[in-house]
Parts: sequence; structure tokens; C-alpha cells
Amino acid sequence: MPNGHILRDFDRALDALRADALMMASLTDRNLQNAMTCLLDRDAALCAVTISDEAEVDALEKKIDRDGVEILRRFQPVASDLRQVVSTMKLGANLERVADQAVKIARRSRRLTMEPELDEAIALGPMFIEANSLFRDSIRAFADADTTLARTLQRRDRELDQMNHDIADNLTAKMAERPARIPEYLELLFIARHLERVGDHAKNIGEDAVYTTDAEDIRHQANSLNYA
Amino acid sequence: MFLSVSSLATAPPGSPNEMSNLTMSAPTPTSQTSALTPAPNDNAVAPAVTAPAFDVRNLSIWYGEKQAIKNISIEIPAKTVTAIIGPSGCGKSTFLRCLNRMHELVPHTRVDGEILFHGENLYRPGSDPAMARRRIGMVFQKSNPFPTMSIEENVLVGLRLNGVRDRHILNERLERSLRMAALWDEVKNDLKKPGMSISGGQQQRLCIARAIAVEPEVLLMDEPCSALDPIATARVEELIRELRTRYTIVIVTHNMQQASRVSDKTAFFYVGELIEFGDTAQIFSSPRERKTEDYITGRFG
Repeated sequence: MPNGHILRDFDRALDALRADALMMASLTDRNLQNAMTCLLDRDAALCAVTISDEAEVDALEKKIDRDGVEILRRFQPVASDLRQVVSTMKLGANLERVADQAVKIARRSRRLTMEPELDEAIALGPMFIEANSLFRDSIRAFADADTTLARTLQRRDRELDQMNHDIADNLTAKMAERPARIPEYLELLFIARHLERVGDHAKNIGEDAVYTTDAEDIRHQANSLNYA
Repeated sequence: MFLSVSSLATAPPGSPNEMSNLTMSAPTPTSQTSALTPAPNDNAVAPAVTAPAFDVRNLSIWYGEKQAIKNISIEIPAKTVTAIIGPSGCGKSTFLRCLNRMHELVPHTRVDGEILFHGENLYRPGSDPAMARRRIGMVFQKSNPFPTMSIEENVLVGLRLNGVRDRHILNERLERSLRMAALWDEVKNDLKKPGMSISGGQQQRLCIARAIAVEPEVLLMDEPCSALDPIATARVEELIRELRTRYTIVIVTHNMQQASRVSDKTAFFYVGELIEFGDTAQIFSSPRERKTEDYITGRFG
């Protein structure tokens, strides 16, 4: 970060906004990890906790938006300050969606605990670890303004997409073999889909980190359509 | 060169021939070239790409021993709003005054370098500063209507000094200038009242009407809104946006939001140097120079 502002209230407001966003990120990370344990350890009690923990993240999302708007109104930031505020508000929205995916995974995992265990649930482990790692790296890139790291996330998101495809193919084959377990296989299929969405949000966060630090929009670069 | 202005909505109908009689100066290179180019579209979003109005080359200015401007080179595009920002004492007002030779009124001033106005050296020996100032008008920070004159006399004083006597032409130009300055509706029934009798915001628009009555090509504005309330400021800013399709406008302002709102280009000056010059959107979202960033975000000092 550059030197402090002459108006120290401005620094305090920006610092507070950033602290809330990082708190929200660590809560979201915890929810995502809990969701993984819910599935892999078939822990119904933790499922309930994970579902109710979403409220904290939702409240922080609203606080970040409110404080961000307040900073825009009060200080009318420009340049890197403006990019920081806008990106932090977008970070809040992305985190809320990641936490949302964690809740959805917890709900599906809770339903799975009511049926006999499927071996395929464990097969989601590596995808879970990759999604969580991608998410953590996106937060690290954002927090440390590490655009080198941020720029690797698009590729890793595509790799996660591929994992999702492979898992979906595998589960579809299993459904043909064991039609009686289709409801549970569908839950797993959707959980893989939720993890794939986590990767999308992590990629978005990385793109916003690049915008904040380098003032460059790296989204949708394959798309040749550009509005001036 | 402002014959195309007759097409603007606020202007009364008038035949182009009548108006060409108003041209008091010899044809300039621009008036010839502009005849060949289409009239600017009032609704145009982006200003047309044209030759620069001012091509400033290696400009330095001294007040006695003190150097106020240090070797500045900049091309100010025509029919565009250029904002000049920078902390007090950075030379922005000095620079603005150079553009119409106003700084020559300050004793012990020395200028080095060139200012080409539409390709012509503004400072070439023998050229008349008064003529430069007719083509390049100035609006000051504090509204300064001539205190003994009525609203009407204030608007028309420039034309009268230039020898225009025809009452029909004067009336036409009076209404048109006041309409362009968005003041006509507010003063049309009080034209004989003193120029000082209206509000500060109206006085500033009166000064703008006075400046554009002589049909300059450029309007230089030195903090034109700093003494105005937000409503009057908004009116002047709206006026600047409207005038920009026809005039080259250079505005000095301490108000970053104002520079963001009204200008197409922004130049950042610091202790007599031009630090950065670029599209306003770029300067205020991703400045290239650290000094610019520190200044506009309020981190200086």
C-alpha cells in the first residue's frame, strides 16, 4: 500500500473495510472446510453447524456493502483507493457465494448421512482439497496484492472444471450400474458442481486482485467483444 | 469559424451571411480548415480528433528569479475540455494565463519556449496580445462583471470595443450569448439592471456570456466555480459540457470531482512541472505516475 492519507479517517475506514473482508474470508474458509468434513466424516452435527454459520458471513457481506458505500459517499475515492473499495465489495459478494456453496454441500451431506455410505463420496476428497486450495490462494493473492499468484488462478479453475467433468462421468456410469442409489449419486454430482462453483468464485477474486493492484481487467480474455 | 453554432438549439434563427459579417479578424488557418470539416454533432460523445488547439513546446516561465513553469511540453486538443490540476503554487494558473498572454500583465515575467495556437506562434514578434485574447477568452475565479454596466452592456462590451454598432447584430448576439451561458431565461426581463445586481452564480454565467459574446475559439477558466454554491456549480459544469463541442476549454480546478465530471483530458502539474497528462478516466482510475496517485488520493506531504 502507498503512504497514508492526509485525512486519517479515510485510512481508518479503508483498513476497517479490509479487516471485515479478511474476517469474512476466514469464516468462509472455515465453512468450506467444515463442509468437507461433513461429507467425508458423515458428521450430521457439523452439517447443522455449517448451515447455521452462514448467518455470520451474510451479516458481514451486508456490513461490507454498507461501509463500502459509506466510503464512496464520504471520501469519493479515486485511483487505487477506488479500485480497492470496489474490489473489496465484489470480494464480499464472491465470499457470500462461496459460503452459500458450503451450506449447500452441508445440506446434501446431511441427507447422505441418512443412507448407507457410498465409496464415491471419498472420491470427492481430492476435488475438495483443490477447490479449498484454490479458494485460499485467491484470498492470499487479494490480501497480499500478489498478482503473480492471482494470475495462476484462471488456469487452476479450468483444471477444477475438468475434475468436475471426470467425477460427473464416473457418477453417471455408477448410476447406470446401481439405479437404486441414484438419489445419493445425484447428491454427490451436485456437490462436485458446488465445488466447481467455488473455483469460479476463487477465479473471480483473483481477477479482482489483479484489477486492484495492476488496474488491469483480465476477465474473459478469449472474448473479442469489447464495449468501449 | 463558429458559423456552425447557428445550428445549435438555443440560438435564434439567423442567416449565416449575416453572421459572417461579424467576423472581425482576418480569416485564420482554422476558419479555413473548419469550413471543410463537418459541423460538430451536438450529441457527439467523443470529441472529434483534430489537430491540437495548443501545441506547447518546452515552455518555461520566470517571475523575476523564480521559475514558475519548467520546460513543459503538451498538446491541448481542440474542442475538448482539458482540466489542469495540482497543488497551490504548481504553476497551473501561470500556465493558463500564458495561453492568452495574460501573464504579460505581471512585471518581470520572462517566457522561454513556444506556444503554437493552431500552428501559429502565439509569441511571435509583432503579434498583438489583444488579438490573442479575443480569440482566447478567459473566465476568472471570482465573477467580475463591470460594476458600472448593466447586464446587457457587460455582455456587449467586447463587441462594442471591436466596433460593432449594428443594433440588430448586437441584440442577436446578446440573446445568443446569454442563452449559451444558460442565463437568458433568468435575466431576459432585467437586461438593463446592473450586472452586479444578480446572484454570484448568475454573475459568473454573465462573465461566461461576456467571454463568448466575441466568439472566441478557446475558453480558459481559472477555478470558475470555487466561489459558487453547488447548484450554480452544476449549472456552470453543465454549460462546460455543452460548450465543449464548439470550444476548446481549459479549466484549472482544485476540485478533483469537478475535473472528473467535466473534463476529457487531465494534466497534473507539480512544482512547475507537468507530471502526467492523459484521458481523465485513466488519470482518476489508474494514474501512471506515483506523484499523480499520491496527489489525487490525498496522500501528499
